[in-house]
Amino acid sequence: MPDTKGFFTDTTLCIGCKACEVACKQWNQLPDDGFLFTGMSYDNTIHLGASTWRHVAFIERPAPLTPQHDGAFSWLFSSDVCKHCARAGCLESCPTGAIIRNEYGAVYVQPDVCNGCGYCIVNCPFGVIDRREEDGRAWKCTLCYDRLRSDLIPACAKSCPTESIHFGNLEDLTKMAKDRVQELHEKGMTEAYLYGATEEDQPGTEGLHAFFLLVDKPEAYNLPPDPVVPTKKVGDAWRTMGATAAGMLLAGLASVFFGGRTRTS
Amino acid sequence: MSGTVLHKGTPNAVSTDGRDIDQNVGKLSGEAAEQRASGAAEKHIKSYAQNWKSLPDEDTSDTTYYDRPMLNDPVWEWAIPTYYYVGGLTGASLALAAASQIGDASSREGLIRRGHTIGLIGACVSGGLLIYDLGVPSRFYNMLRVFRPTSPMNMGAWILSGTGGTAFGALLFRGRGGIIGLLGEFCGYLAGIFGAGLATYTGVLVSGSAVPIWQASRKILPLLFGASAMSSAGAFFEIFSRNPEERRITNIFGAVGQGTEIIAAIVMEKQASVVPRVGRPFKRGLSGFLWRTAAVLTIGTMASALIPNRTRKRRIIVAALGTLGSALMRMSIEKIGTASARDARASFHQQRAGYGAAEMTKARSA
Repeated sequence: MPDTKGFFTDTTLCIGCKACEVACKQWNQLPDDGFLFTGMSYDNTIHLGASTWRHVAFIERPAPLTPQHDGAFSWLFSSDVCKHCARAGCLESCPTGAIIRNEYGAVYVQPDVCNGCGYCIVNCPFGVIDRREEDGRAWKCTLCYDRLRSDLIPACAKSCPTESIHFGNLEDLTKMAKDRVQELHEKGMTEAYLYGATEEDQPGTEGLHAFFLLVDKPEAYNLPPDPVVPTKKVGDAWRTMGATAAGMLLAGLASVFFGGRTRTS
Repeated sequence: MSGTVLHKGTPNAVSTDGRDIDQNVGKLSGEAAEQRASGAAEKHIKSYAQNWKSLPDEDTSDTTYYDRPMLNDPVWEWAIPTYYYVGGLTGASLALAAASQIGDASSREGLIRRGHTIGLIGACVSGGLLIYDLGVPSRFYNMLRVFRPTSPMNMGAWILSGTGGTAFGALLFRGRGGIIGLLGEFCGYLAGIFGAGLATYTGVLVSGSAVPIWQASRKILPLLFGASAMSSAGAFFEIFSRNPEERRITNIFGAVGQGTEIIAAIVMEKQASVVPRVGRPFKRGLSGFLWRTAAVLTIGTMASALIPNRTRKRRIIVAALGTLGSALMRMSIEKIGTASARDARASFHQQRAGYGAAEMTKARSA
């Protein structure tokens, strides 16, 4: 059994070149999502989806980064990807067992099993997985399962020219990320922090296998501040459901008792 | 491949499917090679262009990413809310039929039989609707490939199968002599239990999700769906039954459902609106309009039941309006979820207010 693998995306090193997006599309032979101009900085990809498994966000801020001395503007880039949550909402909610955790600890959708029910889509707290209309099935980042099996690293990490995307054993990555945060803090960039690196950081997902180093609020990157896997909360609904079902049977009995002939005759 | 377009940029036109791979030369073997690619891109563009037609958000004091949605849209369309209605009617009818079986049931045979018939037909229609909505309908049987309690949808597939099977058994074997008749009797009771599950689990299915407004409704939604199912069954018998005893029973059953439905709806809207931004789809847009209309119809039909000496014709009209109310309510829940998923602020505000994972960790330590 190989070690658990993952991504550590250090957004302070990202230059917004989109090489990861291109490499991902190319290796996985993903079709295009249409060519459109959004006007949202240099981001014409918009969001992760069925045929977009890496997405570089461009954040234009009217505020400087801490060590920056001149100008009231800063530009943040961040390459978003499936987080391969330690407790994955899509996996737990999948009614067919199409979504599995593979030997690298990654969350993988088996395209030959998925029947396109769409339940994983509403169960992903990050809005990653999506159904492809043309195809009817749910798709998302596979952590380059095929490349890993051939001892290659994922296409996005391989192509990243600044090593903003690190791939490796999750344990090593966590340590590397903590050292990097400390280094940045020493350099004066005190707003740097890790997003979802450990269970303590993000109890709702019990930690991400693809975590990030950010320098602004998660919302700025379109990431949820305190995400929770829906299956962690669904117990409340099951309790109400049980009580309601019992109540319905009792109401039926009461209706028969008060409305039936046995009583009036 | 259907929808394949010619690549116009090259001197010798090569066929491409959106990957810019000349399939005469390149081999499709990547992880996404199985994705069929034709025309999806245009649809994708259209859906975003649709979003741009709406005005930018007036509340821009807090951070978002260009006001873009954080979650992906739910993909369910009309078939799923219709299933909520049909499944509810089916389940509640079976629950009432099972309750009617207890004791001396000879005078209620008609009601029981009608309940089981609705149960069987309803389960088949429900199955059809669910299969229709799948991305790959031919793989519907994969739903029963695993037994997975963490997935409400998987549990639902088993509940629906159980409902259909037991209703069929009850219809086939009840009223026969000996052990076969007993088996039929048992099937009827079991169908009642499965039916009560079928009418209520859909509330779990919807609220077990990351969509902020659905998640915030999770403690009430199964009650709302269950109560609405009872009122649907009441209205259905009101329209199709002429037996006075049967109608007395179903009227009580439906009225209890309707009363509970109204209370549950009020409590749910209140609970979901604890974080104001989360509760917004109840009040605005198409979703809010549907939700309010459904409430007016339900309250209206409930109030009209108090008017004495109604003719049969009038009763049928009222029951039909009540049914419309129940169906609209299911539809509005779907629309409310889509509106909520598109509003990144709903998720952000909910989680910042302590209703994300914090809610769970707090509950555990308390």
